[in-house]
Amino acid sequence: MTRVFGNRWFLRLLRIAIGGLFIYAGLQKIGTPLQFADSIATFKVLPPELINLVALALPPFEILVGGLLLFGAFVRPAAFALVGLDAVFIVLLLQAIARGLEVDCGCFGSGEPSRWAAWLSLGRNLMLLVGCWWVYRLAANFPLPSAIGKLIKPLTPKDPHMSRH
Amino acid sequence: MTSTSLTPLRANFLFLWIAATSALCIGLLLNQFREEPLPLLYQNREARLQAATQRLSSAEAAPAMPSRMPDTAGEKGTQTLPEFLSMEEFSAFVENKRGLVFDARPEIFHRLGHVPGAISLPRDDFENAYTALKDRLEANKAQPIVVYCSSSSCEDSKLVRDSLRSLGYTQVAVFNGGWAEWTAAGKPEETNS
Repeated sequence: MTRVFGNRWFLRLLRIAIGGLFIYAGLQKIGTPLQFADSIATFKVLPPELINLVALALPPFEILVGGLLLFGAFVRPAAFALVGLDAVFIVLLLQAIARGLEVDCGCFGSGEPSRWAAWLSLGRNLMLLVGCWWVYRLAANFPLPSAIGKLIKPLTPKDPHMSRH
Repeated sequence: MTSTSLTPLRANFLFLWIAATSALCIGLLLNQFREEPLPLLYQNREARLQAATQRLSSAEAAPAMPSRMPDTAGEKGTQTLPEFLSMEEFSAFVENKRGLVFDARPEIFHRLGHVPGAISLPRDDFENAYTALKDRLEANKAQPIVVYCSSSSCEDSKLVRDSLRSLGYTQVAVFNGGWAEWTAAGKPEETNS
């Protein structure tokens, strides 16, 4: 089992799948920032001064970081960023569920706010968190080849604890 | 920069900061090229619709209004509608074509399927949609109107109803069950294809 999940090809497949998913999610929202801002507002966490800024910045962030993951550049930092992003989403969804809010995650475009949608998004984000974390861990074992590897070497020092794999 | 100058964690946080700042700059730049740039301060749906309704009211009040005379032809103008219509009442309203039916959902959902004869008046694009329908609507502000949205939990139909009332429409009701109840009952659908 560990052989499969620790395999170079599995890592490649996983980062392409996750990168593609984040690009898709970003593209779904980038054209409709107002609807995305409405989705963010349903969480009742951010003040009005920040909601639109987040609605404008998050889709390009997802496309940018997802693209790096997809094309295999800056894999570890990109996976680290997505772990952080997923962790934030999970905390937001948990607080919404705890407060009984009907939220619209807005992850893949806007929809109808509901409690069911919050649970669904929570499950999806938990799976993504595990996936991103696994890419982050595995990427340390497989230094990237060629020019990209040389370019990002200073940013991705090998984790000594991972070298036994 | 050498590999010893940055610990992995610091490098990751540096990357995160650069990516987030770049994304914000890209987002703000793209926003400038939009037809209607998103303002930096968020306004909720109700506030946006109220602002749109106020703009429409003031635009209406400015010129002389030859079409604002109430329509006295027919009995529709004197009919009183309940605040909310049940499934049976709404079904009869649609079948007998007793007035106008407005779909307050986003336009894309209207295109995919709507109540037969319903006109799209989306809450999220109320100002433009209303302006396009203005001549037809303002001929008779006492005509019965029913508004619906996705389901009983959506707010759009009530918000559109309030806006229409603010614009002087006297008989506006809401079909609370919305599209969900209509389709669940197996009622006919219409698409814009």
